[in-house]
Amino acid sequence: MYRLVIDANKRGLNLNLRELLQYRDLFLILAYRDLRVRYAQTFLGLLWAVIQPLATLVIFTLVFGRAIKVDTGDIPYPLFAVCGMAAWSYFAFVLGQSGNSVISSQEMIKKIYFPRLVIPLSKALVGFVDFLIALLFIVILLFFYNYSPSSNIVFFPFYVVACIVSALSVGIWLSALTIRFRDFQHIVPFLVQFGLYATPVGYPAEIVTSNLPQWAIFLYYLNPLAGIAEGFRWTILGGEMPSQYSYISLIIVLILFVSGLFYFRKVEKIMADIV
Amino acid sequence: MDEIAIKANNLGKKFAISHLKSADLRNAFDARLKKIFQPKAFSKEEFWALKDISFEIKKGEAVGIIGRNGAGKSTLLKILSRITEPSSGRFEINGRVSSLLEVGTGFHMELTGRENIYLNGTILGMKRAEIKNKFDEIVSFSGVEKFIDTPVKHYSSGMKVRLAFSVAAHLEPEILIIDEVLAVGDAEFQKKCLGKMSEVSKNEGRTVLFVSHNLGAVKSLCSRSILLQDGYVKRNESTSIVLAEYLNQFDLKSKVEFEKRADLPSYFESLMIFDHTKTPNKTLDVGKPYSFVIKLVVRENCNNVVLGIGIKNLENMPVRTVWDRQNQLVPGVYEFSFQEETVFYCTGQYKITLGLTINGTVVQYLEDILSIEVDQFADKDKYYRTDLGIIVNQMKVNLKKVG
Repeated sequence: MYRLVIDANKRGLNLNLRELLQYRDLFLILAYRDLRVRYAQTFLGLLWAVIQPLATLVIFTLVFGRAIKVDTGDIPYPLFAVCGMAAWSYFAFVLGQSGNSVISSQEMIKKIYFPRLVIPLSKALVGFVDFLIALLFIVILLFFYNYSPSSNIVFFPFYVVACIVSALSVGIWLSALTIRFRDFQHIVPFLVQFGLYATPVGYPAEIVTSNLPQWAIFLYYLNPLAGIAEGFRWTILGGEMPSQYSYISLIIVLILFVSGLFYFRKVEKIMADIV
Repeated sequence: MDEIAIKANNLGKKFAISHLKSADLRNAFDARLKKIFQPKAFSKEEFWALKDISFEIKKGEAVGIIGRNGAGKSTLLKILSRITEPSSGRFEINGRVSSLLEVGTGFHMELTGRENIYLNGTILGMKRAEIKNKFDEIVSFSGVEKFIDTPVKHYSSGMKVRLAFSVAAHLEPEILIIDEVLAVGDAEFQKKCLGKMSEVSKNEGRTVLFVSHNLGAVKSLCSRSILLQDGYVKRNESTSIVLAEYLNQFDLKSKVEFEKRADLPSYFESLMIFDHTKTPNKTLDVGKPYSFVIKLVVRENCNNVVLGIGIKNLENMPVRTVWDRQNQLVPGVYEFSFQEETVFYCTGQYKITLGLTINGTVVQYLEDILSIEVDQFADKDKYYRTDLGIIVNQMKVNLKKVG
């Protein structure tokens, strides 16, 4: 027997994650819809999912590897870059997509109930397909350079989860903020662009941090992905442990994630009225 | 207690008018600052779209919700379907609910009919397996079998509606909440859907909550109705009593005056109705001459002014629309007299809508501003019946014996 009680006088902020689980079919089909529509009526179709990261990798290799000659030790530069890129592009994708996601689903939001969190969550699943393609790139390059992954690979699942959670936490915050303040529609593209340089994707973090005072290093790692991109690369390629500062990133992610869930729930209550 | 499907206690919904503006960071910041520095100067205008709504609906009952535009019908539906939260009060629902405020929610044009059935069905709360089981039934109900693997963007709008409604019609909730979704689709398909719905409520014992302007549909579907007026429950009784009350809301006046509109190049000043004796009268006699006299204020030189009068019956069915030809008008007050030799509507009440178009742009659209009553006083023998259908015009009948 289903029973539903809504009482305006009892305003608990309940995350209600069990309800979210009941809507997993919706979560999956929304992700399917996005994937299906993404390359609809394109000539190259799914190939685009390969071409885009490949092109970025080539540019990175030319700019950072050849022109600036970033020192990556004995790791071939393309391999170095592709690891950071895998983490970063996933993060950037979810960031870019989820900010707008709730607004672009407003027709649905005004007409039917479902836990709105399903929307940004499904974007995170869509991005995961690109993430898998990036992983494939990494494997190919590992074979190409005949580079055996380090034993740190046991921590790899941890950093994948960290990467997903960090993308989600920022994504959830942004999707809730964008509904209330449309300004974020303009802020997000800037964040993504800026983040690419502020994150150790194309260069090792030491290049930046070795010349910085302590407080600036602290600031640098406030970027949730700074520590994660570094750790992600470390689990595959080995080398030096990520600096202690990278734990700041992990803590930030955790704070953002939990607070984001609650903030989203709070905005969810008035979503249909203001969207 | 198990007998009750929906129970609402003192439900209310408040909107803060200042928040209806699209919010941006600067507004939010301004508001915060104002709150801090001049707490008294900061007041929000409040508007209660719904207030003190209480009712109970028993299991297996079909209840209609009626009311004029802005009475709060949609808001109530949105609260009960959890799309927005109530500002006050509480409600409880016992049973699995599906709410249909629109057909085809979430349809994506790039996806095929098949994919959209799954997408839309899932959005409406069906499980994947459930959709799979009913898939063939849904497709054959919609009648688009041939195009089921074609992207929906290539469908005609009728086909889209059919497909969307077929998904909705195969929901199997214990409680169904429906907004005016029946207003779409062609007449035949509407009938099919109405049939499906009354089947759902009568034969399968489901609870239905039905909001509509289509009084005919409410009458045939719902034994009880709730009349909303300005956000309150005005009546909650058997449908026939509530409908009578609702119809009375359109009081019968022979003259209406409209507000001055300094913001428009031209506006309606008044509308009067004259019967065959040239006296203002709201009640017209079948078969007799009558006229509508409209006063129009023109404030600027206007080219291409077109007046229109729309006549609807009480079930909101447009009966007729008449227009004046295009006029060139200089500033002044004008009187338009629309005359007709015969009232050829059947007896009953009709609602009048006025429209003013200048250069192809709608300047004023005054909907349902007044009701007229058509009755039969004289010439009782001229017509056989005047209460069947909408138009009493007779046809010429030739009779001859042929065998």
